[in-house]
Amino acid sequence: MKKSEWSDRELEELLRQMPSIHDHRNPHDIYQNISLKSRKTKPWLLPCLAAIAAVLLFFILVPKFMGGINYDQDSAAEKSSAGGNIAAKQDSLALKKENASTIETESPMTKQAELLKMKNVKTAIYKDEVGDGAVFTYWVPDTQAQILVPVSIIANQTRGQSWLTKYTDLMANLQEEEWGLSDFYPLNATLKLDKATKTLIVDVPSNHQYGQGSTTEANFINIIKNNMSSNSTTIKKIKFTTNGQPGIELGNFGKVEEKDVVPQNKHAYFFYFPEGSKLPFLTPSVETYKDINSAFEAMKTDQSMGLKSSLLSLPPLNNVSISNKIMYISFGVKPRLENNQQSIFCLEAILLTAKEYGVEKVIIKNPSLTNLGTFDLTKEIRVPIAPNLRNIP
Amino acid sequence: MSETFYINKSTNINERGGELMDSVFDELYQKYHHDVFQFLFYLVRNKEQAEDLVQEVYIRVFKAHHRFQGKSSEKTWLFSIARNVAIDYFRKQKGWKNRLLEKFDMSANQVKDEDPIPEEITVQNEEITWIYKCLEFCTVDQRSVIILRYLQDLSISETAKVLGWTESKVKTTQHRSLKVLKKHMEMSYEKEGLNSEKVRVER
Repeated sequence: MKKSEWSDRELEELLRQMPSIHDHRNPHDIYQNISLKSRKTKPWLLPCLAAIAAVLLFFILVPKFMGGINYDQDSAAEKSSAGGNIAAKQDSLALKKENASTIETESPMTKQAELLKMKNVKTAIYKDEVGDGAVFTYWVPDTQAQILVPVSIIANQTRGQSWLTKYTDLMANLQEEEWGLSDFYPLNATLKLDKATKTLIVDVPSNHQYGQGSTTEANFINIIKNNMSSNSTTIKKIKFTTNGQPGIELGNFGKVEEKDVVPQNKHAYFFYFPEGSKLPFLTPSVETYKDINSAFEAMKTDQSMGLKSSLLSLPPLNNVSISNKIMYISFGVKPRLENNQQSIFCLEAILLTAKEYGVEKVIIKNPSLTNLGTFDLTKEIRVPIAPNLRNIP
Repeated sequence: MSETFYINKSTNINERGGELMDSVFDELYQKYHHDVFQFLFYLVRNKEQAEDLVQEVYIRVFKAHHRFQGKSSEKTWLFSIARNVAIDYFRKQKGWKNRLLEKFDMSANQVKDEDPIPEEITVQNEEITWIYKCLEFCTVDQRSVIILRYLQDLSISETAKVLGWTESKVKTTQHRSLKVLKKHMEMSYEKEGLNSEKVRVER
């Protein structure tokens, strides 16, 4: 095959012969296309806006989701300690610990741990804790059925339901035994309210158990009286009926038809520690004291039936005076007022006792501490609404 | 080519009314559209692409009007813009996006491989078709020089202005591109046959 040679000139000649290629489009169309294209400026603008919007949306939504999760946790926490009071929870914890340590030998470490856990616990219900709920107080006998302990709960209010209905409904939920007291509720009786005569009608079945033994009888009557005086200011009388027939047959008292409700006051508050618990019930004495000073005096010493002194951990009380529903007190210098759990319980006992004498606020003069637990000692302290908050399922 | 067209530097395209843009476009179209299109077509070797790119050239011209200094002739200015547009186009084609798309789209890849040779060329004699095919083997720079020098009949200095090169660089590039063409013309000649040699010999 012969190898051909192309000279530069030949190639240039060929290239010059290349045909011209025409754009067959109408110039008007081209012009249209150009103006369309040139108007489409900033092609990145739209995706940019979309991205910014997405980021914004993300930041708006994420806290909501987080909040939702937090809310769940909160409500879970609330469920586990129903109402936000940790006292009872810790109490049951302490109980468990105690049970465990009765088998082993009790070590000082566990004791300390319990005390640490029970830091700054308030036992009573204060105004800011109630919220929309209703406070109900139930009187429960201790395990020996010797003393009556008031236990309070905070219940959600239900519309169109009288407080008595709610009160009796909730009796079934009380966990007396878990709290270290004896089982008493629900009552084997129906409670009715006669508004016209301000009378509570208690109807028991004919085979009721409340007539068996003198303490049971006394407790039954006293509990009903106390329940009414603690929860209602209107009820003045209690009428007992058996199966609709007037009167209740009680072994020692004989036939009881009615009792007057006397407002309970002028009692002193003591500590009652259920077996194995470090968390006391603040329990009023059976006796009444003519004035607050004698009540405080009594509180310095242990009483019979398991009631313990509720002022031991505090410095001596000086200059107690009440004027205009405000109680002024001051603490002695020795021993020093210490910010610990025992002192908190003691202060609560003072507040509850003061309430028995019609006091609404307590002012501590020249406190050596500014804060005792969550109490601000520099300000006036409101007395609790009810003692011994416990949770019910 | 010698006539120079100075565009009023004080007016910006964005501020112009449509009418003024209209008249500028008409003028440019009348004078240079064919040449610019021709240049772009031989550079990218695809009619549709060339059509798109020529529009891009107009857009850039309108945007850059105020930057036109009148130092060079308007034609060389337009060619240099067209060349930049083409280079951008090649660059875009090589971009990762297209490569990725090609990977996934085998059929498109195959179709794209062979740009169709337009009718205007196939109806010419075989050698024209050959040389058109051989132009593919030249680099974009080499092709630019060949188009400008032989198809557009620009002088060496004009070509240098369009490409922004020195004249000697134009000369060497021209020399090299002819060499490439020659080599490939001979190869295709060997492959494709005797009768064409006859034709050539007869001529």
